[in-house]
This record gives sequence, C-alpha cells and structure tokens, in this order.
Amino acid sequence: MAAMSFVRWWWGLLLAFALVALVRVFLPLPFANEIIIFSIYTMGCNYLLGRIGLISFGQPAYLAVGAYAAAFYLFYFGNNPYVGILIGIAAGFLVSLAIGPLFVRLRGDYFALVNLALSVIIFYLMQKVLAGITHGDNGLWFLTNLASTPVLDLSRPDQFFIFGFLVAFVIWAFFKYLDDSIFGACCLATKLNEDKVKFLGYSSFNIRLTAFVIANTTTALAGAMYAVYLGFVSPEITSPARAADPVVVTILGGVGTLYGPLVGSIVYTGMKDVLSKVFGNWELVIGFVLVFIMLAGEKGIWGSLQPLLEKMVLRVTGKTAERGGSGQ
Amino acid sequence: MTDTRAEIIRAKGITKRFGALVAVDNVDYLLRENEVAGIIGSNGAGKTTFFNLLTGFFPPDQGTIRYKDEDITFMKPQQRVARGLMRTFQLTATFDNLSVIDNLVLAFFRAYRKSSMLQLLLNTCKGQRNDPKIVESLETFDLQDIRDRIVKHLSLGEKRRLEIAMAVLTEPKVLLLDEPLAGLSESEIKSVLGVLRQRIGRQTILIVEHKISHVEDFLERLTVMHEGRIIADGGYEETLRDPEVRRSYWQIDTSGEQDRTVVA
Repeated sequence: MAAMSFVRWWWGLLLAFALVALVRVFLPLPFANEIIIFSIYTMGCNYLLGRIGLISFGQPAYLAVGAYAAAFYLFYFGNNPYVGILIGIAAGFLVSLAIGPLFVRLRGDYFALVNLALSVIIFYLMQKVLAGITHGDNGLWFLTNLASTPVLDLSRPDQFFIFGFLVAFVIWAFFKYLDDSIFGACCLATKLNEDKVKFLGYSSFNIRLTAFVIANTTTALAGAMYAVYLGFVSPEITSPARAADPVVVTILGGVGTLYGPLVGSIVYTGMKDVLSKVFGNWELVIGFVLVFIMLAGEKGIWGSLQPLLEKMVLRVTGKTAERGGSGQ
Repeated sequence: MTDTRAEIIRAKGITKRFGALVAVDNVDYLLRENEVAGIIGSNGAGKTTFFNLLTGFFPPDQGTIRYKDEDITFMKPQQRVARGLMRTFQLTATFDNLSVIDNLVLAFFRAYRKSSMLQLLLNTCKGQRNDPKIVESLETFDLQDIRDRIVKHLSLGEKRRLEIAMAVLTEPKVLLLDEPLAGLSESEIKSVLGVLRQRIGRQTILIVEHKISHVEDFLERLTVMHEGRIIADGGYEETLRDPEVRRSYWQIDTSGEQDRTVVA
C-alpha cells in the first residue's frame, strides 16, 4: 500500500524528467541547458500566478538578484561555482524577504506593476549607477575564472546539464510536496477568498509573503544558474523587454499546473530554436500561439493535454477516476 | 427575570458611517454565554454591517466592543478567531478550489494545531484528514458521501452545511451566522437547523436573518434593527408584539389587527 502511494506520488515526476532527458538527446546542449534553467525560472512565476494568484511582470528583477550575487562572488571573490549558486540563493531569499512585506500588500495590477518597476530599478542600477562594479553594459565575465569542481564540473556544459537536471528535479519535487502541504491548501484558499482565510484565523499576509519568498528565491536560483552556466552577467538579464517572459511561458504551459512550466519552457525554447532558423521573427509566432491559447480556454498546453492523458491512462489501467485530487 | 449568565460580548455606542449613510447608529448590544439570539431587519437595516463590526471585518467609527473583559474594538479578525469568535458569510464562503475534506482540514488545523508557518509547511493535508474530529464533523453534517468532491461542484445547501461545519469544528465560544438559511430549499433549511439545534447550550449563537419564520422556535431572544438602530430587543414573542416592530419592520398598521404570518 505504501509502495503504491509512493509510485503514485512519483510516477508523473519521473516520467516528466525522463522526457527532459530526451531533450538532451534531441536538442543541442545549449538549448537543453536553457530549458532546464528556464523551467526553474518559470516554476517560481507559476507558483505565484497559479497557486496564490499574484501576477508579476518583474520576475527578471529576482533573476538578476541571483545572477548578480553569484557574479559578484565569482568575479571578485572566489571561483567555486557551487558557492556562487548558494550565494545567489541567499541573496534572492534576503531580497524577497526584505521587499515582500511591502509588495504583497498590493493587489492585482499594482503587484504586477510594482515588480516591473523593481526590475527597471535594478536594470538601471546595474547598467548605470553601479557601473563601476558591474562594468555596465559590458557585463561581468568570469567564465575562465570558474574552478573545475569535483564530481560534477559546472564549468563544463555537459556536466552542468546533469547538475541542472538534478536541481530542477529537486525543485519540482519540492513544489509538488508544497501542493500536498497545508500551506499549499492555504495558498489556494487565499487565492480564492482571502477574507475567509482571515476569518478562519490564518494570517493571509504571512501566507502571501511566504509564497512570495519561496517563489522568488527559486527565481534567484535560476538567475545564479544562468550566471554560472553563461560565465557572464549583464544588465540585459533584467531588461524590461524580457519582463513578460516567465508569465508568457507559464501561460503557454498552463497556469497552476505542475508540469506546465516544464512543457512551456520546452515549447518556448524549442520554438525559439527551430523557428529562429527559419525566419527571424519567431516571437511573432509565440504571440499568435498565446492569443490562440487564451481564446481556446486559457488552459495552456499542459492544462489542455492533462485531461486527455488522464483519460488514456485510465483506459489503459482500467481504473475508476479518483475524485478530488487537486489538478496537477 | 434577569439573566444570570455571564456576558460574552458587549457593544456600546457602536456607529459606522459609509459616506453620508449612517449604516449603524449608536447601537448597544449584549450577548450572554450560551445564548441563542437573532437579529432581524429589512434589507439595509444595518444587520450585516453590525455583524461585520462584531467580527472585525472593519472597525467602527465610534463605540467599543468588549469580548469578556477585553476590548476588541480594533482587533484583527485572526485575533478574534483565536479568542473563539467564528463567523460564516452571507454569500457562502468556502474554498471552492479545494475538496470538502481539505476545507475542513484548514479549519481544523488552525483551531487545534496552533499553526505557525513552519507547521503549515511541514504538515500535509493528507496527514490530518483522518483525525477523529474531522471524521465526526463529516458525520454530523452529513458530508461523508461528498468528502472528496471539489467544493465548486456542490449545491448551495451543501456548501452552507460545509461552511457551518467548518465554523463548528473549531468549537468556538461564539458562533456568528450571517443569513445561514438564505437561498436554501425547505429540506436544506431543515437539515441546517437540525445541525444548529445540536449546538444549543454548547456555545453562544447569533444568527442574522432576513426571514424569521424558520427560526422562531429556535431563538430565545430576538433583536430588530431598522435604519441602523435597534428598535426592539427581548424575548422572541415579546419583541414581535412590539408596536414599533410591527410598524417599521412588518409595516403593519398597528391600529387594526392583522395576522403576522401573512407577511412572514
């Protein structure tokens, strides 16, 4: 019985990551790595949007916090990429903990825009104000600084993929666990009816804040991984032009679905790869696909596929539908 | 006859204005332990506003609210809940995106596990679902058959039962029900009242209702609000006989005799 529930809990996750491993076989390594990092990036955004109902157009801000924190360490102080990533995570945690209490008070549109404002502020800080440290638009280069590390050498792209793959898996398992936790139920409850959450005696503010910190620390982790993978960070990472990327990919994959970010990242990055070879305006196609997805019921790719897949699985296994499971 | 039961809530000189409108106008109100009281009034009489002031939805402009020996006038809802005040909403407030059982788990966990954020993160819903208190609540409120259903697929009556179940599960000192019968069918009303009847004597119950015909054999005390003021307060029958009540609430011409059941 315990074994059965163990299998039920893990099989989707294992299957998803078996598919990601295939990505490594069929796509060039840089794209595989980009997909992995992008999916971690999107996971944070997906949690905010899908679980607690906060839409943010400023996720690049937190990406930049993680990336620059790792970059400062790797450029000025040390050369161990693992330490760089840990510093990126710590920076993301501290910044979102400091900013969160101000931001999560805001509702809807204002939350979306205040984050956008933050990413603009960080963009100009890194490009102009702190140019003495950040080297402005030229960015910080430290690829050759990176030390070769034992076990998995992060300075080599093929080994970085394995590392990224493992990190993404852990993050996914973590978010899947969160969905099962009481906190996860509190988040969904807060998204739907914040007043009722308060009148049950919970602090909806603390729930929003915790979700904010978890999501943006994840985003900062993705930023630090970008920094290590590229060996380079420039203000471009928090460019206002890229502000909507994670939201776009989240919607593309399916808001609030566990595998949406993964599917969205593969499709988005894959489209970029395939389409950009055919013609330059690949973003035009993404635009049309998004409009189509919205009009087709806002479920995204995974959100639309999931019921079909479930039906197929049920037909194969011949089991009756298990009612009441929260949508994954 | 004076009531010797201890005071549990005392509101004094409560006033709430929305712009030029005085929704609640200098209201004094007293609730005693284990009392079963009702507030009625026509639409716009200020019942729900007064109710919201008691539960901390918003603060009053004037006046004080005491809970036992404590001033709770400006206390947040969470703090009032921690002291044992639990409310339901007129527009049924359940979490439609969760299952019936997880709605109960959320109510249960806060009440019995003194939940810090860490506890919320470390515990799963699944781990709480079989607690005897939750199982008992499912039985009492006849929710076993729909325990795993997502709430948005329930009927209004089932949602109302669930919401009251969530409130009762926490064993509050005071149960505040905002129009618990609105929109329900006769059989649903019976089942909700049946459940509430079991609670009499175990906690203070305050019901705000629009229709009183259903709760007449249930309430020991009735208060009538009209245009933001309390115009009558006392035993059920006595309040309904009050000429002021007949004039402004029932709009009965007090010079002639008419059967109140006609308008009820």
